Amino acid sequence: MTHPTPPATLADDLRRLTALELSLPSRLGYVALLLAASAMSAIVIALLVTEPALPMRTSMALGVMAVIGVSWLIFAAWVLTRKRVLLGSHRIVAGRLAVAFSAVFVIGAVAVGWTTSKASPYAAAAMGAVMLSVAVTILARAKRQFARLSKRRDELQRLLGQEEDR
Amino acid sequence: MPTIDSRSLDDELLTIRCQLGEAAGFEDLIARWHGPLWAFVRRLTGDDDAAREILQDVWLRVIRGIPRLRDGSKLRAWLFGIARRTLMDRLRDQYARTRALDLDVDVDEIPTEPPADEIDDWDGLERALQQLPLLDREAITLFYLQELSLNEIAEALKVPVGTVKSRLFRGRRLLRQRMSEGG
Repeated sequence: MTHPTPPATLADDLRRLTALELSLPSRLGYVALLLAASAMSAIVIALLVTEPALPMRTSMALGVMAVIGVSWLIFAAWVLTRKRVLLGSHRIVAGRLAVAFSAVFVIGAVAVGWTTSKASPYAAAAMGAVMLSVAVTILARAKRQFARLSKRRDELQRLLGQEEDR
Repeated sequence: MPTIDSRSLDDELLTIRCQLGEAAGFEDLIARWHGPLWAFVRRLTGDDDAAREILQDVWLRVIRGIPRLRDGSKLRAWLFGIARRTLMDRLRDQYARTRALDLDVDVDEIPTEPPADEIDDWDGLERALQQLPLLDREAITLFYLQELSLNEIAEALKVPVGTVKSRLFRGRRLLRQRMSEGG
């Protein structure tokens, strides 16, 4: 039986849609948003925790900023897991970005703490260290998964090659 | 003709290449599957424009969902399952009208070959297929025209295998009836 033939332009439309959906810059934009939101939240929360003498209005403003930061963080994480999903190679790039950014954040916060002798930069550095450990874990997992998939791909290509030779 | 095993291996390889982020993997996924998915969606909608719109939606769901597909050998059931769910979202009323007609059928009563030898009017068959209730049409299309196994169809449609058999049995009977009325 003949199948309904797809319109001639359909494959091209799907290719365009795929290229648009999988464009790396749009994903890295959300990775950057996630990292920036994490850093902002860490700084604001560190200020709130270490500066109890702040005026009530300032504390409230900082509280609102913390909520905004966490909301952006959740939004970026949602987009990256549901809409602009990260594939194997993307995850490694994103993981490296996260590790580099978190390391710079920690070093920067420690340097500011060292020069100002205040507690809040050290609190931010501690949260940055948590971000860094999460980033390292994500990168290690992404690399493991990439290696596992690559190994299985090579096995399958070998198996299918043998089958074709028969 | 590829065996079921090599078909599964091919599907798994294609899935993994996409999951790794290979651009050529997605090219091959489109080249391999846009035709069969189009044929399935087109037969169920009966309309080119609606099929085109639905297929783009299906494709978006495929791109977004493929990193979470754990067993790549089930790619074809997964793809048709997505197409089916997208169709259900668009054709909810038509699906609702054809629900709850399933009955129990013995395995032996489902012929595994398409009724090719009985048919010399393929256009008539296509027209008769369009007149079947949606649930029967999708089962007939997947089993006889897309060559999915009963288990793969059950997985794609999220129904027990017995229900698939029931729909195939009834669909085939209705198809024969429509064909004899038409010709």
